[in-house]
Order: sequence, then C-alpha cells, then structure tokens
Amino acid sequence: MVKITIDPLTRIEGHLRIEAQVEGGKVVDAWSSSTMWRGLEVIARDRDPRDIWLLMSRICGV
Amino acid sequence: MSEKPCLKSYSERDVSRREFIKFCSLAAATLALPSSMIPRIAEALEKGKKPVLVWLEFQDCAGDTESTLRAVRPTLAQLVLDIFSLEYHETVMAAAGHQSEKSLADVVKNQKGRYITVVEGAIPLKDGGIYCTIGGRAAVDIAKEVCGNALATIAVGNCAAFGGVAAARPNPTGAVGVQDAVTGITLVNLPGCPMNVENLTATIIHYLTFGSFPAVDSLRRPLFAYGKRIHDNCERRAHFDAGQFVRNWGDEGHRIGWCLYEMGCKGPMAYQNCPTVKWNGGTSWPIQGGHGCIACASPNNWDAAYPFYRRLPNVPGANVQVTADKIGVGIVAATLAGISAHLVGREIKKAVTRRRPSGGKEGKGEEKMNGIQEKKEHPQW
Repeated sequence: MVKITIDPLTRIEGHLRIEAQVEGGKVVDAWSSSTMWRGLEVIARDRDPRDIWLLMSRICGV
Repeated sequence: MSEKPCLKSYSERDVSRREFIKFCSLAAATLALPSSMIPRIAEALEKGKKPVLVWLEFQDCAGDTESTLRAVRPTLAQLVLDIFSLEYHETVMAAAGHQSEKSLADVVKNQKGRYITVVEGAIPLKDGGIYCTIGGRAAVDIAKEVCGNALATIAVGNCAAFGGVAAARPNPTGAVGVQDAVTGITLVNLPGCPMNVENLTATIIHYLTFGSFPAVDSLRRPLFAYGKRIHDNCERRAHFDAGQFVRNWGDEGHRIGWCLYEMGCKGPMAYQNCPTVKWNGGTSWPIQGGHGCIACASPNNWDAAYPFYRRLPNVPGANVQVTADKIGVGIVAATLAGISAHLVGREIKKAVTRRRPSGGKEGKGEEKMNGIQEKKEHPQW
C-alpha cells in the first residue's frame, strides 16, 4: 500500500492538497484538503448588505 | 539573472519592431519618463539580462495573476513573459507537488540574492500560520525564506501589500501584508484590487533600465503609479466642481456621467493612476464605468473606506449649487478640496492605526530600504 501526496496541486485557483491511497495500482481511498482559509463569511457579518457583493467577489479572482 | 537577453526573440514571437517600440513608449509613459528615455528602455530590454521571477500565492484569489495574464496592451501578453523568466507560479506552472516545491527550492539555492519574488495574497500569522499552508509549510515560513533570499520582493495587490480583504475586520486569521510578516527585505508595494499589470511591468522595466526600483512613498508604493489622487485626475472632476452629482443609481446624472461623490465614491482619499492608465488595455476604469472608487490601493480600505456607498464626510466643494454666479465659488472650493481630503486622510489613517489587528505602528513603512530611493513626502496617509 502506497500513499501519494500532491501538495500543492497547481493550475487551479487556491490551495489544494490531495492524498491518495494506492493498492495494487488502484486508488482505493483519497482525501482532498483546501489549505487556505480567509474567513470571508466571518468578515461579512454585520456589514452593510450593499457592500457584500464587493467582498464576496474576492472569493475568486479567476 | 539568467544569461539570456530579455528580448532576443521578439521578432520570433511575431512582434514587429514598431510594436516593440510602441510597448517601450507605453512603459515610458506609465513611468512618467520623457520620450527621450524610450531608446534606453528598448536597449535594456534587448540587451539586458532576464530576471528570474518566482510568484508566491498565499491568501489570495488569483486576481493579480489574472490581471497579469490578461495584459492586452499591444504585444504586452507576448512580451511580458519574455521580460522575465517565471520559474515558479502555482496557477500556471506544469509541475505539481514535490516537483514544484523543488523548483522553488532550486531557485532559492541557485539564484540566491539575484531573483525577484512577487507575492500575491496576505500572510496569516494567527495560530502559528495554519490558515495558509503550501506543501505542508506555513505561508509565513515560505515568505521568510523566499523573500529573505531574494534580490527584491514586489507585493502585488492590496492583500500582499497591506493584508487586504483577508485582514478586514475582524481579521479572523491574523492576516498581514508582506511588510508586517517579513522584515529586512527590499520591498515594493503595488496595491490595488487587483494591481494593474501596467504598473508591475513598468516597475520591472524600471529595474531593468536603471538597475534600481522606482522612487516610493512612505507606504513603499512607487510614486509614478500612486503619487496622484484619483479625485484630481478624474474625468468627472468638472462635475464635482460644478456641483453636478449622481443622487440615485440610474438617475439622469448617472446616465450622463456626473460625479459619483454622493454615491460614496472614495476618489478623494485614493491614490492610484487608474484615471490615466485605466484597465483592460486602456478601455475603461471603475468611475468611467459608472461606479465609485473603493480606494483599493489604500491600506485597510475594507474598513477605512467602508461603507462603500456612504459619501465621504466634509469634502468642501461638494454641495455647491449649479448656478452661474456660484461657479466661482466652486473653483475656490475645488482648491480647498485637496486640503480637506488631506485632513480626511489623516483621520482615516488614525482609524486604520487603531483598528490594525497586528497593532501596526505608525511610520512603520518609513524604514530605510536597501537600494530603493525613498521619497518620504506624500500628500496623504
């Protein structure tokens, strides 16, 4: 049994880590983790609703 | 530096001599250099050595990457990738995992003190920096190593420069800009949300041409790009002076392009060259598009310029009526507007200093920088 870790996963927006368990040439289990958090949902709390689109559009610039 | 000249292959890339010189002229114009400097820029690009660049992404949205990839000035998309050798960039590189991290480590080891680091995104310091890790390492540790061994670091976007949106109240991850995470480095800030690629290209071209980075203000922002107030260069300024304001979205004033001050435009407190350089290859910019400025190149704008749709208080000249006999008053008020905006800026700066989660100290940005001409006088902040 081999465990493969790919971190960072490139050519995507954001930060992603993939771990895969390989048995006999087949992936039998896999885990993905997003390795970055800014907490925009926390930042949005108690703000003027009219401003939220400006804030949330910063989730992804792609 | 790579031994390869910057632009040996421009002709091989379907770029004519004429287009190449046009590109050099644009760079000179962005840097506010006289046209006599164009041949020197062209020579530096043709004969100079190509700098190695590594692009780090931390708490980002890849908006600055997109801004760079979307460069559409004539031939810029072709030329930008020729000006520097991009050795590491998560969003565009082919390698992944260990392979990509090895290429970064190789640059740090083999090009020590010679490469340029571009940082995009904020750096979280809370809880040991666990809110952003790459290859199992915290962003702050990567930044210290990679920026610490670089010739210079360019922080692109408001997040990398000042913490940006991630650092907005209540700053859940303790996010800061590069200047608050790594000390003792040569740093140029190119804030904006996103930064304008024209300014990044111009900064690099300045370095290639003169061997130094452009003069910066106390926030380490190049004066060529951040030396002038949006409000003073705004195409709608005449409407401000004449007291012609948009009062509601979609009203007649909005349709014919009157001043957006009453709708919360932060142009009077913002410094950037958007009105002249514009976006999308000089097509337009937010105010031309009919929306107010959100001061995206200012420190902590998500709190300091907030709420975005509330008008800035006390900018004299803003309530002058549109009668012929009062136009003279408008002109006087316009002169006063600059003075007042300075005061508004000072108040905001105080608020920023109070609110900064990292306990940012006043004048922190005024540290002496290696190899960077520093000009301390700046009208605001």
